[in-house]
Amino acid sequence: MVGAATCGRAAGAQNITKVIRDELASRQIEATVIEVGCMGHCYAEPLVLIQKPDNPTICYGYVSEGLASMLVREFIAGDDPCIEFALAAMEVNDFIPTFEDFPRGMVEKKVVMQHCGIIDPENIDHYIANGGYEALAKAIHKSGEEVVSEIKTSGLRGRGGAGFPTGVKWETCRQFKEDVKYVICNADEGDPGAFMDRTLLESNPHQVLEGLALAAHAVGASKGYLYIRAEYPLAVERIEKAINQAEESGLLGESILGTDFNLTLEIFQGSGAFVCGEETALIASMEGEPGIPRHRPPFPAEAGLWGKPTVINNVKTLSYIPHIIRKGADWFRETGTPDSPGTAVFALAGKVINTGLVEVPMGVTLSQLVYDVGSGIDGGKQFKAVQIGGPSGGCLPESFLETAIDFDSLNQAGAMMGSGGMVVMDEDDCMVEIARYFLDFTQNESCGKCTFCRLGTKQMLEILERITKGEGALEDIDTLLNLAKNVKTGSLCNLGKTAPNPVLSTLKHFRNEYEAHITEGRCPSLMCLNLIAYYILPDKCERSCDACIGSCPVESIFSNEDRIKVVDQEKCVKCKSCMDACPPQYSAVVKLSPPELVQEKENDNG
Amino acid sequence: MKLTNEEKTAAIETSLRVLSNYNQEKGSLIPTLQQIQNELGYVPSPAMEVVAEHFNVMKVDVYSIVTFYNQFRLTPPGKNQVKVCMGTACHMRGGNIIMDSWKRRLEIDCGETSEDREFSLDRVACVGCCTQAPVTLINDEIHAKVTPTRVEGLLYAYQLDKDKENKKAGEDN
Amino acid sequence: MGKKINLTIDGKKIQAMEGDKILWAALENDIYIPHLCAMKEQQQSPFAGCRLCFIEIEGKPRPVAACTEPALEGMVVNTRSESIDRLVEAGFNLIMSNHHIDCKNCAASGACELQKIAKERKIRLKPKKLVQLDMNLPKDHSKDCIIYDPNKCVLCGRCVTACRTEGTAVLGLAYRGFERMVTTFGDIPLGETECSGCGSCANVCPAGALIQTNK
Repeated sequence: MVGAATCGRAAGAQNITKVIRDELASRQIEATVIEVGCMGHCYAEPLVLIQKPDNPTICYGYVSEGLASMLVREFIAGDDPCIEFALAAMEVNDFIPTFEDFPRGMVEKKVVMQHCGIIDPENIDHYIANGGYEALAKAIHKSGEEVVSEIKTSGLRGRGGAGFPTGVKWETCRQFKEDVKYVICNADEGDPGAFMDRTLLESNPHQVLEGLALAAHAVGASKGYLYIRAEYPLAVERIEKAINQAEESGLLGESILGTDFNLTLEIFQGSGAFVCGEETALIASMEGEPGIPRHRPPFPAEAGLWGKPTVINNVKTLSYIPHIIRKGADWFRETGTPDSPGTAVFALAGKVINTGLVEVPMGVTLSQLVYDVGSGIDGGKQFKAVQIGGPSGGCLPESFLETAIDFDSLNQAGAMMGSGGMVVMDEDDCMVEIARYFLDFTQNESCGKCTFCRLGTKQMLEILERITKGEGALEDIDTLLNLAKNVKTGSLCNLGKTAPNPVLSTLKHFRNEYEAHITEGRCPSLMCLNLIAYYILPDKCERSCDACIGSCPVESIFSNEDRIKVVDQEKCVKCKSCMDACPPQYSAVVKLSPPELVQEKENDNG
Repeated sequence: MKLTNEEKTAAIETSLRVLSNYNQEKGSLIPTLQQIQNELGYVPSPAMEVVAEHFNVMKVDVYSIVTFYNQFRLTPPGKNQVKVCMGTACHMRGGNIIMDSWKRRLEIDCGETSEDREFSLDRVACVGCCTQAPVTLINDEIHAKVTPTRVEGLLYAYQLDKDKENKKAGEDN
Repeated sequence: MGKKINLTIDGKKIQAMEGDKILWAALENDIYIPHLCAMKEQQQSPFAGCRLCFIEIEGKPRPVAACTEPALEGMVVNTRSESIDRLVEAGFNLIMSNHHIDCKNCAASGACELQKIAKERKIRLKPKKLVQLDMNLPKDHSKDCIIYDPNKCVLCGRCVTACRTEGTAVLGLAYRGFERMVTTFGDIPLGETECSGCGSCANVCPAGALIQTNK
């Protein structure tokens, strides 16, 4: 099995599949090669799983073409499992530890990701063999009311970000006695840095479909949509296949499983507007309008798509539904915290060693996520902050490492669960620049309808740009705080209401960095391009090595009369190529901030 | 940008063909535009006019949709579409530096098409490959962990392919 | 519909029609609440974009927009308080930071809603701490009876509605975010569109962006 979700493909999974197929064919070995989804261990892509009779299933990471053919030769054709290349085994055995034996495995608890990367997403039988569609078969003979009540009891909260109780949403929609109702799966995952929904759609599409079917049954809808970003072509393709398979198997379509429950599902592709993740904007775009939010109430559960009662749930939320119906609300409540039961799926990215998708019980601490699951900070650097919840979320510093993560604790800390993007930052990451980045994002994605979001975020961005260029004034900080407060209260929809969070949280925890930019013209993390300069330390430069000169895309490095390399600051575009090119034993290229330090150094050297 | 007469005819013909598969319900409006964009690579004015008529909406309303969503282009894309991911993870790992490299090498700004229409350069919000950051898409093929030197390499590879094609075309003639 | 209800706004006991939004109940009883985008014909699906008509309702924790809140029996509403005034001023400042201020030469001066708000709430026209976000877009003089200056537009959307009900539906709101603007299909000048020159857009424009000239 080869992990071939979008992340795996980016790492070259399709080549690996081909190598394995060719190698097997040349040896005339009968084996099934399956492209599966993503297990979440993205740091080690491409991943290969080998299931050989009388052996435990073994997972190999960082698979190169050479290793792939070796695995076929030595393990499949021979009997050497090449343990030295194994990441872990998938089941308990005598000689290779399983994922559960690592710190990450001990923290993790997989519910919606349980089968991701292990079953063939394009084969409905794999899903069914693992208990798939059992929940639908069970629930279909119960009343919608019973299903709603089970979900209510489970305490499931919407995983799209706000954490609204799913059961309550369903109950509201169910109350309205209308012939036509809709259910929509919101897969317009637009947070930069988040890819949980993509993975679930690509790796276990039937789980989402079953959840959506259960939602439809619960509220009395017979038409459903999956609103998927057009940027996720593989997800669209796999969901399409899954819908067809489910229809052929009588699990979707007319009289499902011989009952009078009908449900047709259709895909609607989002055309690239972050704001469409907002329910009313999503509906507007499905109705053939620009994705511009409307005032709520009425809420979609009362008057949604084409004015009909509509339930909109996130991919992750829906993925939990089959498990809850199958195993019961009490089972679900066993995990997590009383107010945020269940697990949380995070896309762990940034400066941790083991990036990837993780599923952990609600209530684990940030430090468990960063150090146990993520194996700590890459390159021995110092941890600085975690950005949680994307553009609506905030940056939490070291003092929050022991905070238990659930919906409410994050809100209190000034961050937000958001959809689960989690970017770890180290000493090289500038907090002002991060705030600027997120504001630039929301400002670009603002629909432009309301004053506070359209102009308030623009004004805030102007100030942040000034500061990152070293042109800010101390009073800018107060203006920024005031603007942030007003944009939060005054905006029409949640995009605007949450847009100031990255600024507020960084100002709260890292005000000193803002001040360093303003008063000293210095970027403490050496990140803001206007405030740094690249400099080659003369005493460390090896002279005869020309690595930096060759790497420079703009020919800004020259040799002086002593053959020491010098950066022409006028020409330099600060692309960091020279720093990467300089052999580690010399490490002669350094960043200086403020850039005036270059002159000082040069004067010192005479 | 002025369209040639051929481009206008192609736009109208394609739009009419696409529309013949859709009903007149407004819910089909955006899917139709997506289909036209898929086939033409952009949504030119004549196409918007045909669409407006089919759905019986004001043409300025179709314009308002096309200018609202990132996915739609008003001008023809380059033969090769370079899209630089600007998601958080890519940004943290130098996405803007990669964007600068492309701008510098292609001599165009983000959102533009090169003079010879060979390349167009765009930014995309997260493509969901954050662990492989920074990434660049070239014609929907994802390139992981891109560096400024890699940008040079990718362009060089493209040039080689093009030379090969030209040579082959020369031989075929 | 048609039933009257009683409520209190700023200590004044007033009557309103059931289903009316607070904004209209107040305005019809001579209580001014700043507003730019609201149109009474559309009060059941308000645009709610200008974010100036904030009020406080007793029992509600946060300020709400008067154009979206239905007036209810027994409700107690305040249109002024320190926090409301600050929020309205902040919104107004933002609008002015994106409005080309040129009252001296502006044909709308005197009949301008922005001037009215500034006067009612004692706010300076030119905001102090914000930078002027001028887009410097060209003025459209192509139609002999209408001048359109996008740099004065506050994006209330009223002209678009008016153009649809009384005109030839050439105006629309296009683009996104900060670039959002009132424009025509393909951004062509009004003179090249089917615009009939009825002037209904200029009649409803609160900010002098669309001006009817009597040629």
